[in-house]
Amino acid sequence: MDPTPEDVSKAKELRSIYDEEDIVLLESDNLVTFAIEDNKVAVNNYTTEHLMNINYRSDIQKPIFYDGESKIEKFQFYYRNKKEARILSKDVSYTDNDLFHNDARVKFANVDFPTQGYTYFFESIKHTKDIKYFTSIYFTSEYPSLSRKIVIEIPEWLHIELFEKNFENFDIQKTEEQVGDKKIITYQVSNLDAYYDEKSSPGPSYIYPHVLLLAKDFTYKGEKQILFNETKDLYTWYRSLTKDINTDSELLTQKVTELTAGATSDEEKIKNIYYWVQDNIRYIAFEDGIAGFKPETAENVLKKRYGDCKGMANLAKEMLVIAGFDARLTWIGTKRIAYNYSTPSLAVDNHMICTLLQDGKKIFLDPTEKFNAFGEYAERIQGKQSMIEDNDSFLLEEVPTSTSSRNKESFLFNATITNEEIEGLASRAYEGESRADFLYNFNNLKSNKKQEALKNYLASYNRNVLISDIETSNLENREAKIDVNYALKHSNAVSSFDNEMYIDLDFYKEFDNYTFEERQTNYNFAYKKDVLTEMRLKIPETYTVSTLPESFSVDTDNFKISVSLEKESDYIVYKKEFEIKKATITTADFEAWNAAITKLNAIYNEQIILTKS
Amino acid sequence: MNKALLIALVFLMSLPTFAQKKSKEHLKKEASVKEYIWSEKKDFSAITIPADLEDQSAITLFREVKYIYNRPHNSIEYTKIEHEQVKLLDQVAVNDFSEFKFQKTAHIQGLLNTFILGVKIIKPDGEEIQIDVDNEAIKEEDENKLAIPNLEKGDILDYYFYSNIIVSENDLYQFDAVEDIVGEHYPILDFKFSLETEKDFFVSLNTYNNAPELETYAALSKENKTRLYGFKMQNVASNDFPRWFYPLVALPAYKFQVLFARTRKHEKRANAFMPTDVNTIKKDINKEEIFNLYEDKFSPYGNLGDVERFLKGKDFLNDEHKVTEAFYFIRHKYFTNYVEAFVLDESDIMYPYGYYKNPIIFNSDAQFIKFFAAFLKDNKIDYEILIGTKRYNGLIKDLLLEDNVDFVLKILTENPLYIEHFNQFSTVNQISSLLENSKAYALKVVDRKHIEDIQLTSLPASNHNINNTTESIAITLEEDFSGMQINRMSATTGHNKVDAQKDRLNFYDYIYKDHKKYGTEPVLDQVKKEKDRLRYKKEYKSLLDKQKEKQLKELEKQTESEYDLEIEDYTFNVLNNGRFGVEDPLEFEEAFTLKEELIRKAGNNYILLIGKLIGGQADIDEEHKQRDNNVYMNYPRSYSNNISLTIPEGYSVQGLEKLNKNVQNQTGGFTSEAVVTDNVLTIKTNKYYQNYFEPAANWPDMVSFLEEAYLFYEGKILLKKN
Repeated sequence: MDPTPEDVSKAKELRSIYDEEDIVLLESDNLVTFAIEDNKVAVNNYTTEHLMNINYRSDIQKPIFYDGESKIEKFQFYYRNKKEARILSKDVSYTDNDLFHNDARVKFANVDFPTQGYTYFFESIKHTKDIKYFTSIYFTSEYPSLSRKIVIEIPEWLHIELFEKNFENFDIQKTEEQVGDKKIITYQVSNLDAYYDEKSSPGPSYIYPHVLLLAKDFTYKGEKQILFNETKDLYTWYRSLTKDINTDSELLTQKVTELTAGATSDEEKIKNIYYWVQDNIRYIAFEDGIAGFKPETAENVLKKRYGDCKGMANLAKEMLVIAGFDARLTWIGTKRIAYNYSTPSLAVDNHMICTLLQDGKKIFLDPTEKFNAFGEYAERIQGKQSMIEDNDSFLLEEVPTSTSSRNKESFLFNATITNEEIEGLASRAYEGESRADFLYNFNNLKSNKKQEALKNYLASYNRNVLISDIETSNLENREAKIDVNYALKHSNAVSSFDNEMYIDLDFYKEFDNYTFEERQTNYNFAYKKDVLTEMRLKIPETYTVSTLPESFSVDTDNFKISVSLEKESDYIVYKKEFEIKKATITTADFEAWNAAITKLNAIYNEQIILTKS
Repeated sequence: MNKALLIALVFLMSLPTFAQKKSKEHLKKEASVKEYIWSEKKDFSAITIPADLEDQSAITLFREVKYIYNRPHNSIEYTKIEHEQVKLLDQVAVNDFSEFKFQKTAHIQGLLNTFILGVKIIKPDGEEIQIDVDNEAIKEEDENKLAIPNLEKGDILDYYFYSNIIVSENDLYQFDAVEDIVGEHYPILDFKFSLETEKDFFVSLNTYNNAPELETYAALSKENKTRLYGFKMQNVASNDFPRWFYPLVALPAYKFQVLFARTRKHEKRANAFMPTDVNTIKKDINKEEIFNLYEDKFSPYGNLGDVERFLKGKDFLNDEHKVTEAFYFIRHKYFTNYVEAFVLDESDIMYPYGYYKNPIIFNSDAQFIKFFAAFLKDNKIDYEILIGTKRYNGLIKDLLLEDNVDFVLKILTENPLYIEHFNQFSTVNQISSLLENSKAYALKVVDRKHIEDIQLTSLPASNHNINNTTESIAITLEEDFSGMQINRMSATTGHNKVDAQKDRLNFYDYIYKDHKKYGTEPVLDQVKKEKDRLRYKKEYKSLLDKQKEKQLKELEKQTESEYDLEIEDYTFNVLNNGRFGVEDPLEFEEAFTLKEELIRKAGNNYILLIGKLIGGQADIDEEHKQRDNNVYMNYPRSYSNNISLTIPEGYSVQGLEKLNKNVQNQTGGFTSEAVVTDNVLTIKTNKYYQNYFEPAANWPDMVSFLEEAYLFYEGKILLKKN
């Protein structure tokens, strides 16, 4: 059906606003209702959308995701005149590259919008069998929405709390009315952007407005049944899945005896067990129904030598317990998740680790973190609240945070100029998470490719940089600082014209052009960084320094960038530091960050000039 | 892992969900396969790993590839077994071999396809752990996945893939031809290949490139209903498969074709080179056999009415001219004439084919050859059909598989013309670069109709001057040196043009030119009902607008990747499509701006990284400067640049001497010349690869000019303030 002239002009107008988009949702409504089925609270989510093509033509795939706990009961497109459009849909399993196996599925259709202004109506019903798996509903979708409405119909028999998240920056209208025995809550918002397609963003729960559904209890046939009324109920359910999984195992005992045999202290025993699990259990993720919440038994993980986070945490815990320590399973939401355990919901966590209680202290062990040193914590769990098992009760504890200086990474280079080449001895050192990162990458190289790869890495993949005579500290030790010493020769860094030498000293040029121009979300780094560079270049005899790029330094709450170039007797000393203090550059930092990077680029693009005296 | 993927690919098709429960028969088969492959216990402790392989990630101690063709209960059965024992020497190897994906046993296109994976782990102390694949594997919708339990560094992974297809009774069944190299990414200590067939299977089989000669383990006889052929090889080196390399030419390999035919009469219908006697294994093929297979396949055929009407009343300089013009007419009439219809159909705008009375669309090369032969016959022009093979398959004298054959039409005009492909870009005298410069067989056509003889001949070669890309780049610096404006004119000819046309042109860039040239009517104009026509045209225009927008973005990305720089304000314009002859250039112009990336401030002066404007160069790192493998390239070629820069007022240029380079040798060269005339800096560069092939001994020569080009790429000039 051809679009009306009004639709065409509307599409053109919208395209001038959303110039990168093909489709806009003129209207997008969800109606969420509840029913009791099989003594559980089931959820129906009705979607109605009015999609308009604002580009010349669009060919889209319209998906709805579901899994073993849900099903799609309706999936239908309609033409502008509301007549059913016969568009074939497909239903396939949805494979995620990060997961070895999951039960996710997707129902989708290929839909074409032949001209600008063409519209379809779309309706779907997704049925979730148990409200515990229906944790939240988001306002944002893959297309911009001009008018977005979410209606939640709460029956009298259901006690549910709606937790509104990230509403601050949006003009979301909320109304409540009582219709018969139902309370109807309506949220409405206009002109909502689509999801941002940006790398290294915080998790969606930080960015987009959404409502968490905290189902507390329900009354059925006069009997009140508790859902997740408080954190304890969440724990009780988790506990029910983990309580009885492990049984006496000779195999486990044998392995623990073997691992602790030569150990002379408790700490050594713990490390032997923790590191063995890190090194010998391959991480393979399964997400299939209850297996997404219930760990595999410790004996099975030990036998198989693979497991997911739960399996690995449980194995570490069991082995430590057998070795005589107080170790507990621990649930945690990684940095990707914006909530803590004050909201009792399955949306709160996505990870499991193990906590060791020793001498009144709690030490967290995450066996999925390869090359993580005992007592150090990965950025992704730092500062996050964890829920530690404690028989029928539980403990809440925050994982300590550390500072960027713990992850210090440095590069030192003492150089001279010979025949237009800069050469000398260099060294690199890594601590904390930069060390774990280095070790992980190095140990994932094929044995016969390791040396070549290390050379290329140290040369920053720059073919003008030649690395030789490498000496390293032990590259299997995850606790000590890593030192790499080598000889470095950099050709094509010096250009001589007449009496002058133009020197482009820095071949790493970290953060070169690293500005955030159109970015809408915070930029998250894998960990807090502190990267130091110091190069000392001997000024050749008969030359004097005629131009040195100007030094600068910026220091804010979240980052520090400083570069200095000084002449110190016969040397040019080039110092550079990047500190990402909280592993993130927030959108509020972007202006200061971009200004700093612009200055940095100017230095990178400017040459040191030496003139023959 | 790679291996699993390879196996899966052979039979990659979408599968219907198949009953999960295994039949008794399947279980029996699993047990018998296991017994067959693992019955013999091997003493791994007796194997010592050569000292020079100790630093490998993994070593294949044993690899066996076995094919079996037999006839149970009047059916035809195909079986392939791959069996490997791999010693895992580091964690990377453990990870690589820790997950298997494999096909499910299922009915595919009506045939029962059975897949069985067997895995066991041999621990360093000799303990054997058999994996219960049935229980451990995860059965997903379209494949099975297995995470190998209990796998550690130092273990030997002993596994097999068994695949089996039972084909129902047939008079003739031609199995897919097989060609493979012996080696892999890991070194192999012990390799075994074998092919087993019962009678009624015709077999062509041979080994190549210093693979051992075939051995007869068992021949067919009255008593012996099964025969077994194969070879064994020890210490097969690993290979990194470098750039410019043809594994099937350089490394030990085997090829074979198996055919089931109930009788000799049925066999004759097969499209393959097969022994006449079922008891013989065919190892090579001679001219006569090629002649016999093709003698009837290219009989002139086709209704020449359209061509005759086109030729009528036209004067041609000579036959070459006539043939050429007729070819381009045919290319349009039976192909590009319908491209608009293909697009309309595919985008669901309309069903276009009803608007043609009797659409004739050539979609196979053979169909085209027969038609063109008919045209030649009608015009009394002699021709031959050349049978060649792509150079990466090996030499024509070693031809064994029909799959490896390509046809070229040679028209015996005063200067012979060659025509190979039939597609929107094919031109007279442009044959596949991979066929060029090789030997071929010529099927001699007598009376322009009957093939009467076959002779060895040569396919023509091209040279680096013909296969050329020339880019003329005019640079205008911003006054404040904050960036530069680039205008680039590109012209490509010969084989360089083939990929460029695919990358740079879209159908609307040429089909309407063809319609105009040949006076044909696009299908949209043939829609009589005005209302429909307007609607289709509107939807079609939307489609083109969208495609043009997308095309421009892709072209911009492509140019960005050539320079590895971010560009802005990109425009693109085609000047000439280059579709009418090898030397008819594809020409297009682009304009864009570059920010400061190529400009370095140096006090009051500026350094310009001008070398980068010739685009990324082959970068041979230290490791690859040594090369043991011969160098196999697709064709000789050249890349030229003409760069011009108006020197900003008040500045002069220094450093030109480093931009003048000249390295030329037997393998190719790089030359560059930079001069300033009337305040304009002009740089001309040319890089050329002389040959199709260089022996490894010539690699240092190649490196020397590639290095020189790379140094130029890194070259700079100083703009010095006067």
